[in-house]
Amino acid sequence: MPVILTVDDSPSMRKMVAFTLVGAGYQVVEAVDGVDAYEKAQAQSFDLVLTDQNMPRLDGLGLTRKLREHPSFKTVPILMLTTESSDLMKQAGRAAGATGWLVKPFDPNRLIEVIKKVIK
Amino acid sequence: MAETHHESGGSSADFDLSQFYQIFFEEAGENLDLMEQMLLGLNLETADDEVLNGIFRCAHSVKGGAATFGFSDVAELTHQMESLLDKLRRHELKPNALMVDVLLESADASRGLLACHQSGNVGQGPATANLVSRIRSFVAGEVPPAAEVKPPEAPKVAPVVTPAVLSPAPVSSGGLRHLEIRFTKLDQPTQADAIVELFRDIPGLGEIKPIAVNGGAADRRVFEVQTTSSNEDLLDLFAFHVSREHVDIVDMPAPGGQEVSNDGVVAPGVSQVGIAPPAADASQQGFGFFDGAPGSPQPQGAEAAPVAAALADVGVAKAVQSAAKPPAISNAQPEAATIRVAINKVDQLINLVGELVITQAMLAQNSRALDPAVYQQLLTGLTDLDRNTRDLQESVMSIRMIPMSIVFSRFPRMLRDLASKLGKKVDFVTQGEATELDKGLVEKITDPLTHLVRNSCDHGIESPQDRVRAGKPETGTITLSASHQGGSIVIEVRDDGKGMSRQKILTKARERGLDVSDQMSDAEVWQLIFAPGFSTADVVTDVSGRGVGMDVVKRNIASLNGTVEIESSEGYGMKVSVRLPLTLAIMDGMSVGVGNEVYILPLSSVVESFQVKSDTVSTVGQGAQLVKVRDEYMPVIELEKVFQVPRYDSDKTSDIMVVIEADSSRVVLLVDELLGQQQVVVKNLESNYRKVPNVSGATILGDGKVALILDTGALVRRSRH
Repeated sequence: MPVILTVDDSPSMRKMVAFTLVGAGYQVVEAVDGVDAYEKAQAQSFDLVLTDQNMPRLDGLGLTRKLREHPSFKTVPILMLTTESSDLMKQAGRAAGATGWLVKPFDPNRLIEVIKKVIK
Repeated sequence: MAETHHESGGSSADFDLSQFYQIFFEEAGENLDLMEQMLLGLNLETADDEVLNGIFRCAHSVKGGAATFGFSDVAELTHQMESLLDKLRRHELKPNALMVDVLLESADASRGLLACHQSGNVGQGPATANLVSRIRSFVAGEVPPAAEVKPPEAPKVAPVVTPAVLSPAPVSSGGLRHLEIRFTKLDQPTQADAIVELFRDIPGLGEIKPIAVNGGAADRRVFEVQTTSSNEDLLDLFAFHVSREHVDIVDMPAPGGQEVSNDGVVAPGVSQVGIAPPAADASQQGFGFFDGAPGSPQPQGAEAAPVAAALADVGVAKAVQSAAKPPAISNAQPEAATIRVAINKVDQLINLVGELVITQAMLAQNSRALDPAVYQQLLTGLTDLDRNTRDLQESVMSIRMIPMSIVFSRFPRMLRDLASKLGKKVDFVTQGEATELDKGLVEKITDPLTHLVRNSCDHGIESPQDRVRAGKPETGTITLSASHQGGSIVIEVRDDGKGMSRQKILTKARERGLDVSDQMSDAEVWQLIFAPGFSTADVVTDVSGRGVGMDVVKRNIASLNGTVEIESSEGYGMKVSVRLPLTLAIMDGMSVGVGNEVYILPLSSVVESFQVKSDTVSTVGQGAQLVKVRDEYMPVIELEKVFQVPRYDSDKTSDIMVVIEADSSRVVLLVDELLGQQQVVVKNLESNYRKVPNVSGATILGDGKVALILDTGALVRRSRH
């Protein structure tokens, strides 16, 4: 069963994403911000990282950069889940090493659809 | 953004988002509270990036959640707040007090809207149109409209509500149009930037993209727009920001393959059911992948999958979801480890523990006669029981204890509003917020404290000019502090304002026909303001000084077994101290015997006790007795006479003196013997029997007998007359 790391500082968003993913048959690990996520990523491997952008301590871009430096996260898909859909944001995401982005708010089905494209 | 979820509700129907509402409401409430705190603490001059980012994040989180869960009114308002906060944190705008005002009001309105959603009364929330337009003008860098000007119904037609009026138009006007919109000869080009916001805010209006202007002409803006709305509608809409003569709408050839094939997919659907543009410009789909980025889907064709395939994917996803009922979410983050319990359950628990304490005391008393050698095990058990009962009682009592910060936290906002209304400058300082107090007391002390704090701001603190003239700093300080002192909690409201004028109070008291003299001590003069209807306010403001006065404050506090003391120094400020028992349910008492009766004295008011020496008591006029203790004369009260205790042994007289203190006065009680100290469970006598003079309650003793708890305040007052 693929394992997904979902990172968001908002408990309701986290629950919603986790519920959606678990319902679609994925295993989910939640993290409350970039720092928490990075710690969790040290401890186990993931098939996908789904991260919010705007978070305290370490934001989504920062997390992405750090993860890409980590040997076991060189090729793991990282999706930025963000309300900021501007081109600038996307460029920043690409530069940080993100795989793609998904604009919040999203339809739960849309999330699954996108994830299916990157997880085989 | 906000619209997408809403409009695509059909496909998310199999997700019951409502199960997350409660979490969201709590989270949003916390975020709004945090935002308010940070806004109140924001130093406008040296606005801290950290704080600005924090405030932004609060609005951002609330907006994200509200949009996701379909509370579009909250999402709209918080989106506006976010835009303003974004400019602040990027230092594109400088924060000012008016912005903080509108943000605070918006936070209040968001709370109101959320409360309506929570209770299911959608549509009854506060009107937000005015707030939205005010924030917008800040964002656009315009001179802010006066906060007071709130046209009652006018904002209904303001930009925000326009979508409701407008949205039928795009649908009826048919297919997607590709336009270039030019704004020329602008005085303030930033006004045109607000157009972008319009597209973001109005569901179904379409997509907008700025086009770089050649030659860097500062007075022009050009946008590429995809919309289904007619030119007329667009011009009407833009008119809120830019007047018509500056707008030029030109049809653009549709980019290859982007022509809309299906009229049924107008409005929000356009951006949703993505037309899968060839390049990375998939933003309209709401997602996208970077070419060659690590982990991106390999076959490029899959990304450009036709709508049909995407829909098929959705179908599969649905099937998976319905097949796999959601199991417990693994690794869930522990939420705040608290539970909510009905207060009557806690009270019942406290009552039961109270009974247990009494039973335990009864056992302890009866076991004293037992021979320790024979009953050693039983006595050891009883000692353990004693200790455990006490621990249990303490933990149970602590359930009801809540920190004073719950009360204190409401004041910064209140004072801020009040001070700006009164044109005063006030700093608010709190001390000892962690001090805990019984919940019942906290609820009852809030109103009196509010009154005191308001008084300080309204009557105490002077206007900035007056303060400067008096050689004081322009900004006044109001300090609210709480601390434990013995068995009580002392809450002080201090201000460095003008204090009270002794002369003014005496004059006013005479006007009201009160019995006063110039020889009265300061403390006695200050007590005069507790007389019903007494107010020395020169001007009756809508804040205080109207009817409900200090007498109500005093009465409320006295009903909690508390006392109020005032210290004041004209020109330098005043201090009101409220002293309250920690809890009303249990009290440390000293039991004293008179004849065959046992009375309980609150330990907190017992100062000392000693054996009577006959030569120390002297009788003055009308049979009143005084006792001299270390050069101080104190009135003597014989409990035997006060309660007419029957004496069977006529030779026996009371020969133990107990000094008690209440209302800053001391009296001496004459009793037969001191029986010991113990915790007593206070039972209300008034509600179970009737009001008895000099008695504040009753308790059940270890031997099952009832003992009266003495009202030391009443006894002290009695000695004065």
